[in-house]
Amino acid sequence: MDLALSPAQAAFRDEVRAFLRDALPEHLRHGARLTSGVFVEPDIGREWQAILEARGWLVYHWPRDAGGPGWTPIQRWIFEKECAEAGTPALPGMGLKLVGPVLYRFGTETQKAEYLPKLRNGEHFWAQGFSEPGAGSDLASLRTRAVRDGDHYVVTGQKIWTTQAQFANRLFCLVRTDPEVKPQRGISFLLIDMASPGVTVRPILSASGDHELNEVFLDEVRVPVANRVGDEGQGWTIAKFLLDNERGGSSFGPQLIADLARLRALAGPFEGELVTRATRLALEAEALEMTELRTLIELEAGTPPGPRTLVTKLIASEIRQGIDELAVDAFGLAGLQLPAERPFYGADVPAPVGSRDAQIAAGRYLNSRAWSIFGGTSEIQLTVIAKNAVGL
Amino acid sequence: MDLTPSDEQVMLGDMVRRFLADRQNTANMGRGPIPRDDWRALGELGLFSFLLPETAGGMGGRPQDAVIIAEELGRSMAITPLAETVLLCAGLIARRGSAGQIARWVQPVMQGEYILAYAGGGAIRYDGACLDGQTHIVQHGMDASAFVVALPERQGAVLVSAAADGLTRTPVRLADGTVAAEVRFDAVAADPLEATANDLDTAIAHAELATIAEMIGTMTTLYEQTVDYIQQRRQFGVAIGSFQVIQHRAARLFVMLEQSRSMMLKAALVEEDERIRMVTAAKAYVADAALRLAQDATQLHGGMGVTDELPVGRGHRRLLVLSHLFGGALAARARLAS
Repeated sequence: MDLALSPAQAAFRDEVRAFLRDALPEHLRHGARLTSGVFVEPDIGREWQAILEARGWLVYHWPRDAGGPGWTPIQRWIFEKECAEAGTPALPGMGLKLVGPVLYRFGTETQKAEYLPKLRNGEHFWAQGFSEPGAGSDLASLRTRAVRDGDHYVVTGQKIWTTQAQFANRLFCLVRTDPEVKPQRGISFLLIDMASPGVTVRPILSASGDHELNEVFLDEVRVPVANRVGDEGQGWTIAKFLLDNERGGSSFGPQLIADLARLRALAGPFEGELVTRATRLALEAEALEMTELRTLIELEAGTPPGPRTLVTKLIASEIRQGIDELAVDAFGLAGLQLPAERPFYGADVPAPVGSRDAQIAAGRYLNSRAWSIFGGTSEIQLTVIAKNAVGL
Repeated sequence: MDLTPSDEQVMLGDMVRRFLADRQNTANMGRGPIPRDDWRALGELGLFSFLLPETAGGMGGRPQDAVIIAEELGRSMAITPLAETVLLCAGLIARRGSAGQIARWVQPVMQGEYILAYAGGGAIRYDGACLDGQTHIVQHGMDASAFVVALPERQGAVLVSAAADGLTRTPVRLADGTVAAEVRFDAVAADPLEATANDLDTAIAHAELATIAEMIGTMTTLYEQTVDYIQQRRQFGVAIGSFQVIQHRAARLFVMLEQSRSMMLKAALVEEDERIRMVTAAKAYVADAALRLAQDATQLHGGMGVTDELPVGRGHRRLLVLSHLFGGALAARARLAS
């Protein structure tokens, strides 16, 4: 057993590090540091996406035959670790992390040729239409109907919590194509052009004042049958594949470790109880990084991942929320600022009391409460762990 | 990067497990130290010499080998002085002692004849030849043939035979059934070791790592017994493990155990120059998690959890002691913060 990088892995790390030193512009690093929302602002996300695409590293988590660079699990981890330490922006995830893998796995050749290049070059900005007002954790109870009419489906219903739908020109969507069968078996996966007649987006402002979420109303929207991914009724299988990718695709530990180190540098040295909280968070994050690495090392060796992978999202949510709460406390009263203007790195935001990092703390704190809710609430995570890891 | 144990490591784990399976059962596990004959037998199997440096006649076992043995001891709640005697005291003497000191103290440890104990605290004075004063509680102190005594400010260490004139000891029974000692020195002749503070810290880190692995082993047993129990125990006509509130608590135990194991593995596998920091981090994490897991295991066993009948109560006692050795989580967190 050993934890050292092989000479080839160390050379790869140096290559990534050198690339990031040269290719990551200061304004993107700055923008990433001053992003209050859970998701990357489209302007900096798109610019970073283009830089990575030019280097051939944008879809680093896709397999080689889907157009990825063919990196191993450990290479992907090294890349993410270096990105976290360098402070890169996140990538627009709905397309690259969620629908991209669905398309290369379940899409027809025509769909792959149409959508994958436009996903990579940023022409298509994707939003995810899964949750509905009555279908959150119980996703299979979704009611948006798709009725076949010749070469089209006519789609009517309502989606909610649709992240960044205000920027999106494409929506991937779970719809009910057969109301007669068992709920899971009547669901299909559709790709919808947001410019179609009958699509309406209504913003939902977060408690932080950020606009990340939306409702999407679909009123007799005509969607070509050719925009269905997989077979009719296969939507649930595809959704499970997508959610597995969402949770297992990339590592949380490196980003959390880097963010905590940045907070220490900006707001430290801590005193009193803050020392204890910061130390506990650092330990939890270090343990999480190793827990994730254990799985990646197994995958690298060809061993299928065990139930351990189920714990990472739960722990990551708690650490994320702990760091953002620590920041508010560490900045004191200056941590209570919450200007209405966005983004924080933009020209319209008033001068901060203290620092921009203090100015952003309250918004971050409020937004990070979403971590234990999206992508499977922490309660659902615990139930899944109890069932599939503990065996209850 | 590779986390697959070598064939040799698998054999090592199997050997210890089989040895203990013949001797440890739910009735006796965790009640107190294993019999001296069993300790001697482990020495005769070559386990201790395997862990000690080649320069002292050992086989140069690494920290990642030691944790395999220690985890097995923890799994069957076999209470031994492995960490203090072999890894700390004999390890320090083997690396820094003279040929005479190695021959006198390390060889008998390898054979399982001697137990050595480490006295790391108390009010000690040393004038270059003799020790005076009193130690703090010394684990396994009543069984020890000799003591490695850390000098004030950790300015090195000295060796003292338990039979030395002027040495007296008072037994102190600890929560895990082991008997420790308070040791008093009245002008006791001491044998200096050529050990720096860093040598001492390194030896302590190797021993502390073994206690962390032992905690992981005991935590695993408590976890497994708890999961079994909540599937068998029926109330309101169903197994209590079917209640979501119980399931979520059990899921938390799984999470704690995986995270703890990650810290132990990292501490065992880092390069030697990172060892002390990483063992400290692992201790700070695992010591906390061990007690929380033990508390939940007790809770989920209901009334049976607070009795002496089941291994869970004894495992809890042992984890209480292991988690507080070498200053416990509080001292570890303080070291990390400074």
